[in-house]
Amino acid sequence: MLKRIMIVLLGMATLAVIGIFALAYRPAIGPVAVPAASSFAPGLIARGQQLAGAGYCATCHTRRGGEPYAGGLPFPTPFGTMYSTNITPDPVTGIGQWSEEAFRRAMHQGVARDGSHLFPTFPYQHFNLITDEDISALYAFIMTRKPVVAEARKSDIPFPLNVRALQAGWKLLNFREGQYGPVDGKDAQWNRGAYLAEGLGHCSACHSPRNKLGAEKSGDQRYAGAEIDHWYAPPLTAANPAAVPWTPDELYQYLREGATPLHGVATDVMSDVIQKGLSELPDQDIRALATYFADRMGTSGASIDRDVINGELAKANLAQHSPQRDGGQALYLAACSSCHYNNDAGPQLQRPELGINTAITADDPTTLLRVILQGVSVDQGLPGVMMPGFGHSMSDAQVAQLAAWLRSSRSDRPAWPDLEQRVTRLRKDLAASER
Amino acid sequence: MSQFLLNGREVSVADDQTPLLWAIRDELKLKGTKFGCGIGMCGACTVHLNGRAIRSCITPVGAVAGQAVTTIEGLSPDGQHPLQKAWVAAQAPQCGYCQSGQIMQAANLLQDFPNPSDQDIDAVMSGNLCRCMTYGRIREAIHLAARELQGQSATAGNAGHPDEGQRHE
Amino acid sequence: MNKFRSAKSNGRGLSRRGFLIGAASGGFVMAFSRASVLLPSQTPASAIADNDYEPNIWFRLQPDGIIVVHIIRAEMGQHVGTSLARILADELEADWNQVRIEHVDTDPKWGEMSTGGSWSVWQTFPIFSRAGAAGRIALIEEGARLLGVPAASCQARNSQVLGGGRSISYAEIVQRGDLTRSYSAEQMAQLPIKPPSERRLIGIDTDAIDIPDKTDGQAIYGIDAEIEGMVHASPRIPPTRQGSTVVSVDDSQAKKQVKGYLRSIVLEDPSNTVPGWVVVCADSTWAAMQAARLVDVQWSNDDTAAVSEIDLQEHARQLIADPEQGARVVADAGVEDAFASATSTLERSYSTASVLHFQLEPVNALALQKDGRWEIHTGNQWQTLILPTLAVALGVEQTSIIMRTYLLGGGFGRRLTGDYAVPAALAAKALGRPVKLTLTREDDAHFDPFRSPSVQRVMMAFDNAGKVQAMQHDAAAGWPLLANAGPDQMPKSSDGKPYDPFAVAGADHWYNVGAHRVRCIQNDLANRAFRPGWLRSVGPGWTNFALESFMDEAAHQLQQDPVQFRLGMLDASGKNAGSAPNAVGGASRQAAVLRRLAEISGWGGELPAGTGMGIATSFGQERDMPTWVACAAQVKVDRDSGQVRVEKLWAVADAGTIVHPDGALAQMEGATYWGLSMALHEGTRFENGRVRDSNLNSYTPLRMTDAVPLQIEFMPSTEVPVGLGEPATTVVAPAIANAIFAASGARVRQLPIRPDAVLQALKESAAG
Ligand code: FES
Ligand code: FES
Repeated sequence: MLKRIMIVLLGMATLAVIGIFALAYRPAIGPVAVPAASSFAPGLIARGQQLAGAGYCATCHTRRGGEPYAGGLPFPTPFGTMYSTNITPDPVTGIGQWSEEAFRRAMHQGVARDGSHLFPTFPYQHFNLITDEDISALYAFIMTRKPVVAEARKSDIPFPLNVRALQAGWKLLNFREGQYGPVDGKDAQWNRGAYLAEGLGHCSACHSPRNKLGAEKSGDQRYAGAEIDHWYAPPLTAANPAAVPWTPDELYQYLREGATPLHGVATDVMSDVIQKGLSELPDQDIRALATYFADRMGTSGASIDRDVINGELAKANLAQHSPQRDGGQALYLAACSSCHYNNDAGPQLQRPELGINTAITADDPTTLLRVILQGVSVDQGLPGVMMPGFGHSMSDAQVAQLAAWLRSSRSDRPAWPDLEQRVTRLRKDLAASER
Repeated sequence: MSQFLLNGREVSVADDQTPLLWAIRDELKLKGTKFGCGIGMCGACTVHLNGRAIRSCITPVGAVAGQAVTTIEGLSPDGQHPLQKAWVAAQAPQCGYCQSGQIMQAANLLQDFPNPSDQDIDAVMSGNLCRCMTYGRIREAIHLAARELQGQSATAGNAGHPDEGQRHE
Repeated sequence: MNKFRSAKSNGRGLSRRGFLIGAASGGFVMAFSRASVLLPSQTPASAIADNDYEPNIWFRLQPDGIIVVHIIRAEMGQHVGTSLARILADELEADWNQVRIEHVDTDPKWGEMSTGGSWSVWQTFPIFSRAGAAGRIALIEEGARLLGVPAASCQARNSQVLGGGRSISYAEIVQRGDLTRSYSAEQMAQLPIKPPSERRLIGIDTDAIDIPDKTDGQAIYGIDAEIEGMVHASPRIPPTRQGSTVVSVDDSQAKKQVKGYLRSIVLEDPSNTVPGWVVVCADSTWAAMQAARLVDVQWSNDDTAAVSEIDLQEHARQLIADPEQGARVVADAGVEDAFASATSTLERSYSTASVLHFQLEPVNALALQKDGRWEIHTGNQWQTLILPTLAVALGVEQTSIIMRTYLLGGGFGRRLTGDYAVPAALAAKALGRPVKLTLTREDDAHFDPFRSPSVQRVMMAFDNAGKVQAMQHDAAAGWPLLANAGPDQMPKSSDGKPYDPFAVAGADHWYNVGAHRVRCIQNDLANRAFRPGWLRSVGPGWTNFALESFMDEAAHQLQQDPVQFRLGMLDASGKNAGSAPNAVGGASRQAAVLRRLAEISGWGGELPAGTGMGIATSFGQERDMPTWVACAAQVKVDRDSGQVRVEKLWAVADAGTIVHPDGALAQMEGATYWGLSMALHEGTRFENGRVRDSNLNSYTPLRMTDAVPLQIEFMPSTEVPVGLGEPATTVVAPAIANAIFAASGARVRQLPIRPDAVLQALKESAAG
């Protein structure tokens, strides 16, 4: 009896595996000779360049200090570290042999030229929204980049998660195909913003929490904010904790310049998104993005109340001036105040005002802690402006004191729990990801 | 290996991890920038990066590659920046060790707050420790320099600033 | 005579020397001769050629009229060269624009070299006055001769001799005349020193000579010293100051990870200045600091590795409780009887925590051997103290070591102890190459000869009229002179016991209190566990906190006004009447200062609730060189948080003649803020063999935002000029503590004053 049950179970399992593999099967698309640059219309390449910017292709497909588009950037995931691939037109290590059809299939379905399934770190679940014309332009742009010989780095995802065929199962659960169609009742600008944000921009890939399988959550969890890559991407919903509303103008300035006096500076990935990606887009596209997200956040019609800002500023400055200081307050005066202080004339762009900064009101302290530890480099946030890291200047306990004091003196939000342990863990993770 | 502009001159430093402070002092031989704490909390090592004050002791050279760095030696060609003149007029320095950093930080203060109040000065300058405690005179010198700079600028007119009796007869 | 005494009296003996002026190197050198008269075989020129003059005080008159004054004092922010040169130039009737100063390197010829104790102006004034006067007389005589008019009809002004309606410049006199002169000691004593009304530079403000270079990065400090081919070094400091030995050194990580790492040297130190040190060498400062972090050193430590601040304080309490302990520095008869027959008594204890120097320039030294001589390039306050130690460490004659002088990035007494030069010298010797040793801030703190924690007990006996009959003050702390100069340098008290004057000064006050006893008690555990150092104002920094807090408590117990209570005891009678030359007027001058302070601070006026004013007064560092000083503090106490906000500080000082008023004011400002910083903001704790706080992420000295309004005033005076660098430091903390009591009823008896201590004291006062 037992034996029969075993046989049946085994049989079923075998069938399931076969099923998956059958489901997973995609044919290879034959190699082509690398298309000549002259085969693409210059206008098409130029449009592709904008779109590549909107999709921050270079941001993910370039490692720090590496050749553009040659891949190698690490992506720490809960399942292990993956590395982006070489998408230059090198025929052997890049995608030089890919036809436009193969390229489109990869973008729309997450399947490589050889028929293998791509991991969802590559956001084809967004790129499938992109129109065929835009795919053509992107193809033209990518295929006219300088070919670079760079072998892909192997991920350390453990077996069996590294079996690509299993991705078919993931797709079954998490992926719906279909291009973007305008949403009724919304104007053209909104729809343009939504097309850019949801398709190429794949904004929710960072800003939405993910389920156990690593897929973006949907419903009201969509855009609810998430810790990603040792940063915290804040919610882009009404739950965004900014003290000053993200009006369309604020969003526009932030996405255009990388900083606003009222909302601070973009760092790291977001900074790259703005400085190296969105910078390719014309102003009206940035406006469209701002319109779309202001709508999502419910701040389309919001206005900025100077009294609120002045109140926050006054609170922050009062806290700084108590006659005897210790802990976080003393650290702030010695290390931070020189650059972050503002007076009642209002926050200055080059003096990021922590009294109204989302890093301090956020549910998750990761961004604040990370900026304290590592600073902000010249090429991030405001171009040419730098904040040094204080990782070597303060102990874990001191970083935690500083963060806790900033939180309590500059927001009404509850204290972050276990701060010191979080600092310790973050330091470890950051050190590991540097290796 | 990083290259950058130091007081307008192209320089290069071999090791990207070396703090800018030690590159400036040991390799590039400008000694006006001082070492006090090494953790960004005394301000003695303050220099300008693209015109903004930074603490050079915790800034690795690699972080300023391709950028413009200014030290106290490069603040003015002849040591006659309005702040430097004001520093002498107020007889601010005692041992002097902190003063390069104080002046560099003050230069940034006056860019952002051309007519600073005592509160502005206290908040921005409190990151710069003066162990000789010349704070009263530094405050006075900053007000002096602000007045001179305001006088120079086209929008002169409200140059006066209440001194709030920080100094005494 | 011990070093402490000889340092203090340096130069005073020179008033028994003759003076000579002789041609040298194109100009004239003016100097005190070694003897009271020249030998018959000598001319001034030959004496100068033979170096037969007291070289620590001389100056040179060049053919271009430039006057170069040699300064043996360290420049650490007090603009000392400017003050000293003003004294000389005034008497010389020199054109100030032609005066230059030269800070000199050590050389036996300079005699004692020391800068501390607020002594510089006081010691130098009489000497430089005489030297200037002798020069002036000679220039007038020679100028008159060249002008062809009688000398009596001539006078000197602005580097010119004027007479008969004509004038001749000093430069021309040097070029054309023969200034060669010699004056015997008797003649020197007869020389007319100008009356104060004739002073043209002393007491008049001028820009300090050293300041411009401190605004454009040109000033050169010890840390800036460089020499071709030098190696950079950073130490591994042992876990205890005096009780650690190196067991093993593993530098494999440094080798692997640090480019430019050279080697690590375990120091062999015959002078025992830096036991247990390992010096890590590399080709740059940064590489050396990096490598030092990676070198793994194992030490074996003695029991001091387990000593903490509470142990030190507990030990001090036990010592105080033992009546046999300590030297009776003030030992009037009848103390026991007075207490036994008193109507009432008061007894209180006070404590102060460890305080770091935290001079902004971490200590450093460059050492090298050149032409058979050792050179130490560094900033130092007491060269004469460290040279013998260096000689022992290097195993050479003291005469073969020279210290080159640099600016000090802060002194505050840290660099009276030249201990940091020793490891640099030893490393250079071991390596056979010049070594530049630079301490990180953390190393600087752990190696700091910081201010010892102290415990003090003060007692008073009153009769039934509320008059003070007797007083006893027992002060226990680590002894700096013992730690840094050795037991044979200690003076003895009247009961024959050696003591450290630095650790008790201030308790021997100018109040008439009947039978008075002061015990100076060495906290021997402190002296074992670390090296107590001299820190700005030294002993009075703690003794006066206890004394003046206690005076306030006594006044309140007697329900007297604290100012009136003090004035009643400052009656300048008996041993407190004062004496010439330094303490003319005695306690009456302290009383005058206190009265003036009460006036300008509005003492006794109405203040809002929660706000109060406190006062304190003192005589600076030492009874035989008193700087009369008093401070008032107005504070506001937040009863919920215990936070103390100082609203304003007033200070009045009588320091005799003020040579450089603006410089003097700057010293008072700095000293007052130092007092405030030590009262409310800084202070550390000794923990398991070393100080707990080693950098600004936890050590919190006064910053710009804490720099409260000051009102400072000097009493007009033409008396002997005394010191200004420290006295104000001593009166701020007790004034603040007394103000806290006035504002809230909370009596705090520990320094620094932390909000939780105020809260605790508020609770106690509520409990009655
Ligand atoms: S040395 Fe850089 S801030 Fe202190
Ligand atoms: S002048 Fe000495 S530290 Fe500022």
